[in-house]
Amino acid sequence: MIRCIDVCKTYRQGGNDITALAGVSLEIAKGSFVAIMGPSGSGKSTLMHLIGGLDRPTSGDLLVHGRLIGQMADDQVTLFRRYKIGFVFQFFNLLPTLTALENVALPLVLDGRSKAESEERAQALLMRTGLDKRRNHLPDELSGGEIQRVAVARALAFNPSILLADEPTGNLDSKNGEAILALLKEINREEDCTVVVVTHSQEAARYGDRTIFLRDGRVEKEHC
Amino acid sequence: MLALLSSISWRHVKRHRLRTALTFFGIALGVAVIVAIAIVNRSLTTSFESTIDQIAGKAVLQVANGESGIAESLYPVIRDTPGIRDAAAAVEGFLPVLGVPGERLYVYGVDFLTDFAIREHQFSQAQFGFDQALDFIANPDSIAVTESFARRLGVPLGARLTLLTSEGQRQFTIRALLKEQGTAKVFGGSFALMDLPAAQRVFGKEGKLDIVDLTLEPGEQIGTVQQRLAQRLKGAAEVERPKKRGEQIELLLTSFRVGLFFVSLIALFVGFFLIYNTVSVSVIQRKREIGTLRCIGMRRSELFRLIVSEALILALVGSIIGALLGWLLARAALVAVGETVGNLFSLVDLIAGNFTVNELALALGSGVAVALLAALFPAWQAMRVSPLENARQAAWRPAGRQNVSWANRLGVLCIVLAPIFLLIAPAVGDAVKRFSVGVIGMLIFLLALAAFCPALIRFAVGWFWQSKLRLPGIDAVEPRLASDSLRRNPARSGITVATVVISLAAIFTIAAFVSSVRGSLLTWVDQMVTADLIVSAGASTAGPRNVPLREDLLPELRKIAGIKIIDLYRLIRSTYRQKPILIESFSARDSAAVRNLPMLNGDGRRALGEMAQGKGVIVSESFQSKFAKGRNDRVELMTPSGLIGFDIIGVYIDYSSDSGSVLLDRALYKKYWKDDLVDAFDLWLEPGTNEAAIAEAIKARYGERYQLFISTHRQLKQAVVRIMEQSFVVNYAVEIVAIVVAIFSVINTLLASILDRTREIGVLRAIGATQAQVRRIIFMEAGWMGLIGGVVGLFGGSVMAYHHVVYNTKELTGWTFQFYYPYGVALFTVVAAVGLCFIAGYGPAKKAAAMPIVTAIGYE
Repeated sequence: MIRCIDVCKTYRQGGNDITALAGVSLEIAKGSFVAIMGPSGSGKSTLMHLIGGLDRPTSGDLLVHGRLIGQMADDQVTLFRRYKIGFVFQFFNLLPTLTALENVALPLVLDGRSKAESEERAQALLMRTGLDKRRNHLPDELSGGEIQRVAVARALAFNPSILLADEPTGNLDSKNGEAILALLKEINREEDCTVVVVTHSQEAARYGDRTIFLRDGRVEKEHC
Repeated sequence: MLALLSSISWRHVKRHRLRTALTFFGIALGVAVIVAIAIVNRSLTTSFESTIDQIAGKAVLQVANGESGIAESLYPVIRDTPGIRDAAAAVEGFLPVLGVPGERLYVYGVDFLTDFAIREHQFSQAQFGFDQALDFIANPDSIAVTESFARRLGVPLGARLTLLTSEGQRQFTIRALLKEQGTAKVFGGSFALMDLPAAQRVFGKEGKLDIVDLTLEPGEQIGTVQQRLAQRLKGAAEVERPKKRGEQIELLLTSFRVGLFFVSLIALFVGFFLIYNTVSVSVIQRKREIGTLRCIGMRRSELFRLIVSEALILALVGSIIGALLGWLLARAALVAVGETVGNLFSLVDLIAGNFTVNELALALGSGVAVALLAALFPAWQAMRVSPLENARQAAWRPAGRQNVSWANRLGVLCIVLAPIFLLIAPAVGDAVKRFSVGVIGMLIFLLALAAFCPALIRFAVGWFWQSKLRLPGIDAVEPRLASDSLRRNPARSGITVATVVISLAAIFTIAAFVSSVRGSLLTWVDQMVTADLIVSAGASTAGPRNVPLREDLLPELRKIAGIKIIDLYRLIRSTYRQKPILIESFSARDSAAVRNLPMLNGDGRRALGEMAQGKGVIVSESFQSKFAKGRNDRVELMTPSGLIGFDIIGVYIDYSSDSGSVLLDRALYKKYWKDDLVDAFDLWLEPGTNEAAIAEAIKARYGERYQLFISTHRQLKQAVVRIMEQSFVVNYAVEIVAIVVAIFSVINTLLASILDRTREIGVLRAIGATQAQVRRIIFMEAGWMGLIGGVVGLFGGSVMAYHHVVYNTKELTGWTFQFYYPYGVALFTVVAAVGLCFIAGYGPAKKAAAMPIVTAIGYE
């Protein structure tokens, strides 16, 4: 499903080259729930961005669904991301001016689906995440846990085969954090969706079938 | 504060160089227009005053009666008035120099024996003594020109010079050269002296004088002698100080100058919105930074001062550059203005405006005052930013309903105030004050529209999506997202749309005004000028540039077969109640049957009939408005025959001059004004006669001798339009400024909006929006803003233009213009608004699409 072969990522900052990933090689099987852990600056988020096609590796090969995602044209990778990958961010990244329903429907709207069709699907997803009664609320009017549920519902808009979550519980209290992780686990189990969670939290990692530790841009160790 | 400005503010400026540059140039352009117009206005005043001063010499009083002249027989009466020491009589006028296109010589005819007591004429020949003077006087073809004129035209002493006079072409011999000192400095040295009787003949003013300059016996009070003279003259002429005469000529230009001022006010208003736009956007964009500053202990008042200081510094630098730009603009504008003033009012030796401390003060004053006003509200908003703002991780949150509600409150206040100003305008002070209050009322109305923009955006976009109205392809996702972004962020997009509204309203008002003036003028020319051919000398239209001819040509023209009626038209500048007016005359007896007189009310035919019978005069609408004299009133006019009373038999529409005109039959005119000169021969041809053949025949026989301009009705209309277009050159310049400012504003706001929505754009890209989609969303957002701004701006401009044309202009000039709605311009305005916004949105859209997703999502 996901295969990294000696993936490197270097950023140029203030005239210096910063190495975020220094030759990461790993494989993530279809339907697995993987937690990526490591200290700040270890390259966790960078790895997730590369897997999601938000960024491109400086060197090395990164295959997702057997396709070299780093070599795709921008439009190709965008559509790939739209249909195959769902994102959940630490800071939720909902559009503050859209209601919960509209936020969830947004990827479908971007795909050119009709408003009715998009909203019908969004409504079903909100029901799935237990937020159908809050569908017409703006993000400002929802709690942190509720906002993250909306973000998860949005990530599921196209039934993606991969769900990438960057510190999904980082901004939540423990109760809401656990609820979100349980939801991700449920999705992983019921939809056979590969879930990759970047986290600092041992509790969060416990939901995974496998934990990969990164340090200084390299895989340090793995636990199954 | 300086430390904060040099660190925080300066870095912000450096980070947003393009936006700062756009704002900076917008301010500079606005200030440039204001400064240019101020310099032009000052140049006009200085030029008239300096010309009058230089010609007046040592004179402390002048006796004159405009172009009506004074009977020469009154000269001894004036000279012998107790208290007068010296009295120098003169006739004056411009004569075109043949063979040198555009060259006009200002000829001053004086009595060489008396004039030296008033004016110092210095001749370049060492020995221009009594004998030379006698020789000069003895030869009626003698002329003295300045050294610079002689050099410029290559005509040395003794050379012949051909001038166009009232008798046609005449040759003169240069018998003296004048040093360019004193009076000879006027009109850039295009000055000539002639002996009085010779000049009277040249100008067709035998037995008349244009002016008598006076000095007083030592110890005499000017006021006392002035009164004494007025009593002796019994209304046959005015006695004024030279300065007062300068003021009278300046009065002619009041409307023109106020019109220019109005235009500069619009530029200032547009500039105000640009600064407001920039500062507002900057505050919105720096909310987190402001929150941090508040967190680390910056007081609200310090923050307020910081934001206002930033705007002031921007305005200060922009104003200095604008002042210099304005000075350059003024030099170009002076050429156009000099041409317009020369065509419409009086030939003037326009002194190129120097850049003085006054202009710098005006530039800085207007720029800084506008910046201060514009920055107040955004600075107040900045003060209200919570210190918690820096802790918020979410993307920028749109200003909530509170901002929109404030804007609505301001809108309601303005919409209540505007009609109050408009209603009280007709009741205040003089014409200029009434006009100014009306303009303020309209600007408040415009401000109301600007304030309602956020609400209008919300309503317009909401209505559009709820309605069944759909254009092909518009149902796509991008327009939906674009309009949605506008609807949900009305405060932010409102600032841009308001700027577009203000700019477009200004552009449309000027365009509609020009269209109405043009339409009214052409309709009026159609009604007023029914002649098939109009023959004049020196210029195609009667005015300061044409040379009045004697009636000698009349019998010659009568010999040409095919001409049915010949009427003689005369136009002179005179004064009434010490204010300038026009006296127009033609022979209604000859032409009543073929003429048409557009009347304000009543029947033109009846009025022409009564005029032909010499029953009275017809006054123009602006005369009625300025002097409150209308039909059945009586008007006493100063003529060379004394003060003569005339009955007013009607009021006609006349756009010749906004200072007011009096029209009377030529017979009556000749009787009292003792003047048989003609400005234009109006010819009506026999049916079936070839117009071109007649024109050719006249040209062949008399064209060369009299330097005739033979215009058909169509050509005359073209000449009128040309003169009118030229008078609007400065207005067009302001239109360009408004367009540039509108583009700057849209680019400015869109760039800020993108920075502001970086994370939002990043999220869109992360969840599957392609680069092209993001580009289209931003692009269409710009289009939406253009469409809403265009429609609202057109509405505002239409209301403003209607009021300006129908009410405001009437208050200032006394003219009633028909409102000609420029449908083409209206359509163009909306299309151009959308088009310009698309163009303005191109760069920002490209920038948004190219934004790296990871950076965008992590954007702080």
